[in-house]
Amino acid sequence: MEDKKYAIEVKDLKIRYRCLNKMSIKQSLFKLKKSNMEIFEAVRGISFNVPKGEIMGIVGKNGSGKSTLLRAIAGIFAPDEGSIDLHGHTVSLLSIGVGFQKKLTGRENILLSGMLLGFSEEEIRERMPDIIEFSELGKFIDRPVRTYSSGMHSKLAFSITAILETEIMLVDEVLSVGDAKFKKKSFKKMKQLINDKDRTVVIVSHNGDTLRKLCDTILWLHDGVIKMQGSTKEVLPLYEEFMS
Amino acid sequence: MKRFLADMKKYREYAVYSAKSGLKAEVADSHLSWLWWILDPLLFMLVYSFVAIIVFGKGEKYFAAFVFIGLSSWRFFSGTIKQSVRMVSKNSAIVSKIYMPKYVLIIIQMLINAFKMCISFSLVAGAMVLYLVPVSYRLLYIIPCMLVLFVVTFGFSCIALHFGVYVDDLSNLINVFLQLVFYLSGIFYSIETRVGKALGDGYVTLLLRCNPAALVIDSLRKCMLYNTEPDFAALGLWLAVGCIFSAIGIRLIYKNENSYVKIM
Repeated sequence: MEDKKYAIEVKDLKIRYRCLNKMSIKQSLFKLKKSNMEIFEAVRGISFNVPKGEIMGIVGKNGSGKSTLLRAIAGIFAPDEGSIDLHGHTVSLLSIGVGFQKKLTGRENILLSGMLLGFSEEEIRERMPDIIEFSELGKFIDRPVRTYSSGMHSKLAFSITAILETEIMLVDEVLSVGDAKFKKKSFKKMKQLINDKDRTVVIVSHNGDTLRKLCDTILWLHDGVIKMQGSTKEVLPLYEEFMS
Repeated sequence: MKRFLADMKKYREYAVYSAKSGLKAEVADSHLSWLWWILDPLLFMLVYSFVAIIVFGKGEKYFAAFVFIGLSSWRFFSGTIKQSVRMVSKNSAIVSKIYMPKYVLIIIQMLINAFKMCISFSLVAGAMVLYLVPVSYRLLYIIPCMLVLFVVTFGFSCIALHFGVYVDDLSNLINVFLQLVFYLSGIFYSIETRVGKALGDGYVTLLLRCNPAALVIDSLRKCMLYNTEPDFAALGLWLAVGCIFSAIGIRLIYKNENSYVKIM
């Protein structure tokens, strides 16, 4: 049963952005014939597997397709070609500033986000105290999210995904959340979450230290293709040399 | 179809909770809060009474109830469609962070609008009591009428949502179009008597049968106020059309929804 060992299987993945942006009706009427759409391929046919329980870091310069890849794994983007197989694992994307309804209170947003992650209302209510405690929001939890500072915003976002654990966690530069104290705390929590043997984690980060401390393997993306993939010890020094 | 049912089950809880909190958020933001849900149709009824009675010089039997029925159903219909056009960009914060079938957003909006419609239908009931409108078992025909209204609105909204993502000024076009339909739907006049007198009965059938909003409103009035049978054949036909539109819309959304995020 080779299958079961992998949590994420990506095959020949290609993701394109059609630069058709939004059009007005006039434009669409007159331009449809020409169809000179600019197509930008952000991810150009990559394949890799992530074994269950592994912590993989993704590095690469800006615009190399890291975030696109992460979103594709999270199911937000459909691949234009190729496939992504998660073998039915639950997945959550941890990124700075999850989508909140700004008019609603933090507490209601926790429920809404949790439900979107596939948890039932009871499960969320059960863990609600932990989330609120971890987020350090105190009284603000019952105020509308629009009154939050950006730090509070990301603290709440982090707490929701950190406490409502999913089997696959995708992390997008989240380790720089909040003030120094919260950063330390979230880093510790991340480590604890990551050390769970059943959890598969994919981290996108520019921070070499973080990656060195957390990751087992590194995937180096360059202009939408894999430049290198291997253990952290192997890849990271070469990447850092390349970038300097 | 299978996927639709499975997704509906999966996101049902979320949709209901989200609709509730949407309503709460709306209330939290204004001073008169939920009173607006009653004041709004009430004030509009006064406006249309002014237009119909003072400007055109003639109202209908049970005029307040007559206008309330038209207005409440119309607002549900047109409101949902208008909001659907911009639905994805309005919810970009959520849509770009997590996957959900995008028509769930429409369902949330429909739940919110349906709740408001229920409140303004209580005004209909109030007006009916005041007018001492005689009612009968025909009141039950509200249920098929509402069913048609919901299905047709959902179908149109799904399609509007899809194209609204790609075409930036679609909402302008839809607003104008809906304004036209508004005047063709007989919200504050009776299509049967007015149009019938002016243009002949052929146009009455045409207007009522080709415009689902007019048909539903007319049918609701027939069974609630005038104690007559609605045009069941036409209602059934529009139910079928609504189902087809919904199926096409859901298909379109499933097929394309993952590229919506790339465009925003």
